[in-house]
Amino acid sequence: MTTALFIQLVVNGLVKGSTFILIVLGLDIILRGTKILNFAHGQFYMLGAYTLFMFCRLWHVNFLLSLVLSGLALVLVGALSYLSVFGVVQRRFTATTPFTYRLLMSAMASVGLMLILQQGTLIAFGTAERGMPSIFPQIITFGDVRLSLEKILIILFSMFICFGLYLLMYKTKLGLAMRTVSFDPEIASLQGINSFWIFMICFALGSALAGVAGGVIAPVFAVTPTMGTHIIFTAFLVLLVGGIGSYKGAILGGVLVGLALSFGFHFLGGISELFVFVFVIIILIFKPGGILGEVLD
Amino acid sequence: MGKSLINRKMSKNRLIFGGMVLAALVLLPLAVKNAYMLHLFIMAFIGIVLGMTFSMLFSAGLITLGAGAFYAIGAYGSTLLSTRLGLSFWAALPLSTLITGIVALAIGSIIVRHPGMAFTIISLLFAHVVIQAAGQIEFFGGWGGIIGVERPDPLGPIQFTTKTSFYYLILFLLLLTALVFHALYTSRIGRIWRAIKLSPPLAETLGINLYRYRLLAFVIASSAAGMAGSFYAHYFQMITPEAFGGWLSIYIQLYAVLGGLEFYILGPAIGAVIMTFVPEYLRIAKEMEPIITGVFLLVIILFFSGGILGTLQRFWTAKKTSVLSGKEQL
Repeated sequence: MTTALFIQLVVNGLVKGSTFILIVLGLDIILRGTKILNFAHGQFYMLGAYTLFMFCRLWHVNFLLSLVLSGLALVLVGALSYLSVFGVVQRRFTATTPFTYRLLMSAMASVGLMLILQQGTLIAFGTAERGMPSIFPQIITFGDVRLSLEKILIILFSMFICFGLYLLMYKTKLGLAMRTVSFDPEIASLQGINSFWIFMICFALGSALAGVAGGVIAPVFAVTPTMGTHIIFTAFLVLLVGGIGSYKGAILGGVLVGLALSFGFHFLGGISELFVFVFVIIILIFKPGGILGEVLD
Repeated sequence: MGKSLINRKMSKNRLIFGGMVLAALVLLPLAVKNAYMLHLFIMAFIGIVLGMTFSMLFSAGLITLGAGAFYAIGAYGSTLLSTRLGLSFWAALPLSTLITGIVALAIGSIIVRHPGMAFTIISLLFAHVVIQAAGQIEFFGGWGGIIGVERPDPLGPIQFTTKTSFYYLILFLLLLTALVFHALYTSRIGRIWRAIKLSPPLAETLGINLYRYRLLAFVIASSAAGMAGSFYAHYFQMITPEAFGGWLSIYIQLYAVLGGLEFYILGPAIGAVIMTFVPEYLRIAKEMEPIITGVFLLVIILFFSGGILGTLQRFWTAKKTSVLSGKEQL
């Protein structure tokens, strides 16, 4: 294996990894904040890609502006779906509701949402793949290593978002409120935090992250209605590797799985997904809560 | 004294009702001559078995999204046994059930350790990976699947060439599963599962080994799904990975949620029958079906969280108490 190939594979792995990181951070914020296992997350990612496609290609808005707009659109989608579905389901829970029941009800609600969003997009846009021209088509060359500028920008962008999230979570009052609610909603209420609004903000923020991830990836890969279903399995894998409920774990897991898939596809082909799964199972034997997570019940 | 009398009367009513349903099911092929209708009943019965496996895990406080995986393992195991080793259906069915149980034991001993969200996610991933493995590995037939699975050998005078014979076969398997599951639910094991579901820490203080009993539920439920898979393979005489992927595991849960989560046998039965027949009668365009399923699911969760049976039961008890309170006022 030449160095050039190696670097190319690493960069491809990191590009994959950085989209996984954005998606899984969104999934994790929702999971930690609201205790909802959101199966519709892949569809939020797909909707992000489609809104970007619509703004950028159909209405000729500037790329960065359309990225922001598709993030905002997904904030709206997330907030609305929380208000109309998950909030209603969660309001029924009392302190004595068994955990299994809470998990099942919110997960099933997200499955319902997933079916509707998935098939709705399919009917609205058709099964055809929507392509977008590359926004930054330049190629950077170091010796015999050729990298597209776009891929490097994606990696930088997701690092930027991670840093922004860190500031939001640990340096602002809103972040403190979100962390308190995820620790215990009742204690948070005693401190004068309105848990319901924080739940909604967590859900909207998580959806926006998925939407932005979809928007970033839209110029690189084709936009299809099934892209969300494909990515959600890998996203869950990343969540398990890193540890449920650990933001650092999401980043580490995203990089690991991204690299594993990039090298696996090059050397083994489609079967590499199986190996990654076996690898995750082995990790879980030794580290039940994932690499950086704790065991959550 | 009075209470036990009422109980005896109720269980007598229940027996009569159950007997009537059973008689109707046995006599059904005499009334239904349409082969397609019988096919729908057969598919609904397979769905009931799968829904019951979901409910069994739910009764032990586990939520699985991977029931389809063990259904697939049973189907593939049975197919490989009969096409590669030339075993007859009657040997392949119990053997593939056993194989599914062993796989479930191996996988379960790792994943049941982390109940809660991790279990749910891993079961979903496992289902995904089983389908991928079946499609990617040539030994399992690849994405094209395996065709030419043998029909069951004749059993004495019974030839398995008509839908009616398959109907009776799956009816027998369904009743067998329901009986075994019912026996388990009413036994000590079932009560332990209920205790675990209600409160794991409390169950642990009673000296219950949570891990062992959860694993037991996982293995039994998965074996039953494997048995259904074996029947499916020999009924269709061909299997493809797609038949077990996609929305299947989601539909299986839907059966249990729609019928009533707290009714471990009747809930999936009602849910599966409704979900099989209603779309047929509405003649909905195929592409609208997932949307309608999704809306259906949301409506049940938002407004009738007890499912059909749970809502009926609540209605019934509310009526009774209102009659009682009316009497008190008089």
